Amino acid sequence: MNDRMHTVTAYDEELGFLSNCIAEMGGYAERMVDRAVTALINSDHALSKQVISEDVLLDNLHREIDDKSVLIIAKRQPMARDLREIIGTMRIASDLERIGDLGKNIAKRTVAVAEVRQPVRLYRGLESLAELAMIQLKEVLDTFASRRMEGIILLRDRDEEIDAKYTSLFRELLTYMMEDPRNISACTHLLFCAKNIERIGDHVTNIAETIHYMETGEGLTAERPKDDEHNAVTVNKA
Amino acid sequence: MSNMRTTDLAVEVAPSKATARNVDVYYGTTHAIKNVSVDILDKSVTAFIGPSGCGKSTFLRCINRMNDTISICRVTGKIEIEGEDIYDRRVDPVQLRAKVGMVFQKPNPFPKSIYDNVAYGPKIHGLSRSKTELDEIVETALKKAALWNEVKDRLAAPGTGLSGGQQQRLCIARAIATQPEVLLMDEPCSALDPIATAQVEELIDELRSQFSVVIVTHSMQQAARVSQRTAMFHLGELVEIDVTSTMFTNPSHKKTQDYITGRYG
Repeated sequence: MNDRMHTVTAYDEELGFLSNCIAEMGGYAERMVDRAVTALINSDHALSKQVISEDVLLDNLHREIDDKSVLIIAKRQPMARDLREIIGTMRIASDLERIGDLGKNIAKRTVAVAEVRQPVRLYRGLESLAELAMIQLKEVLDTFASRRMEGIILLRDRDEEIDAKYTSLFRELLTYMMEDPRNISACTHLLFCAKNIERIGDHVTNIAETIHYMETGEGLTAERPKDDEHNAVTVNKA
Repeated sequence: MSNMRTTDLAVEVAPSKATARNVDVYYGTTHAIKNVSVDILDKSVTAFIGPSGCGKSTFLRCINRMNDTISICRVTGKIEIEGEDIYDRRVDPVQLRAKVGMVFQKPNPFPKSIYDNVAYGPKIHGLSRSKTELDEIVETALKKAALWNEVKDRLAAPGTGLSGGQQQRLCIARAIATQPEVLLMDEPCSALDPIATAQVEELIDELRSQFSVVIVTHSMQQAARVSQRTAMFHLGELVEIDVTSTMFTNPSHKKTQDYITGRYG
């Protein structure tokens, strides 16, 4: 943020409010994804229901950020950094809201996956994929709070690891399905869960790019490694 | 969108209409403008912004030698319009001001009829040979100033009887009647209501196709809306000048950033 205060102090308070809302949304989104994955792995229905019910909190915060941002734009006609701050906040809020939705979707699949108790090895790949995504999410939220730009390109480019891991998990789940057709139903759901987590990584990437724009006024357009090869994976290859 | 893009492109390729090099202005011992060099592009609007007392109006008034009327004011450096040094001894300030029109903060029509307000400039500069020609000049100027339809039936009525917004457009008509090359506007909308302001802004945008316009404004939004390039002044110095869209989304200087976001002044 800018070290210098606005002449109108209420303006600073309004911008501070937006930034607090993002921090709060980030906290909720993080918790939702984390608990959704835990619920899935432990077949914990109670926990999954809790995650599903919490999504509304995230939606409410998202709406509040949108309303407040529109109001600030109408009232203050923000310029330069302030303008980027508000536009960036709105974009990040919708990315976080989507992350929450993806977490909720994972929680919803808990019941279907748990119908037939699956061997632990099926979950291992998903667990480590989720771990990677959670680290990314945590770091991007930390960067939002600190506004330190040093590691941001590295952070964005680390999405490559998630994509690679997702592709290998895709192959793995295909193998399980071929081994035993009774795995197909659960594995398909797990495949969707994996895809959800991979997309959470994409939203984290978006957030990193938005923060960079808010801070510097320039978009991060440098060629980003695209290593998501799962769309080329076939049964034969696997 | 495509329109916005072409506007930005047009700015980059437009030639310079006026150039100022190392201009200093002193009021007695006060150093009001410090070493300002700037290019005013042709057929585009340049906005001067900055906190009160930063010298933007003083600098504007250098461009048509209005500062000559202040005895303690001294201008050094070089200002050229179309390559001609306007402070050259052979330049007649009255002729210069026909080429460089000016509109002020408060509408100040002459206590004469609407017609005479506009006809005055062309008459003293001998721009018309007959009454018909003068009528044409007046009509064209009033049309360009988007005032013709409102006053065509009462050209003999006093200019001072018009509303504030109409008076300001009358002053613009008066300024453009002499076919100036540069139009200077010193906070032309600060005494107008939002509708009259919008009309004047619409007008500025149309005038841009024929003139080079320089506008001093305290309204950031106005500068952002009407200009293609914006110059930021602070304590008599030119802080930066850049394409308007860049200035208001991502300015290079901290002073500009602080000023336009409401953290200074």
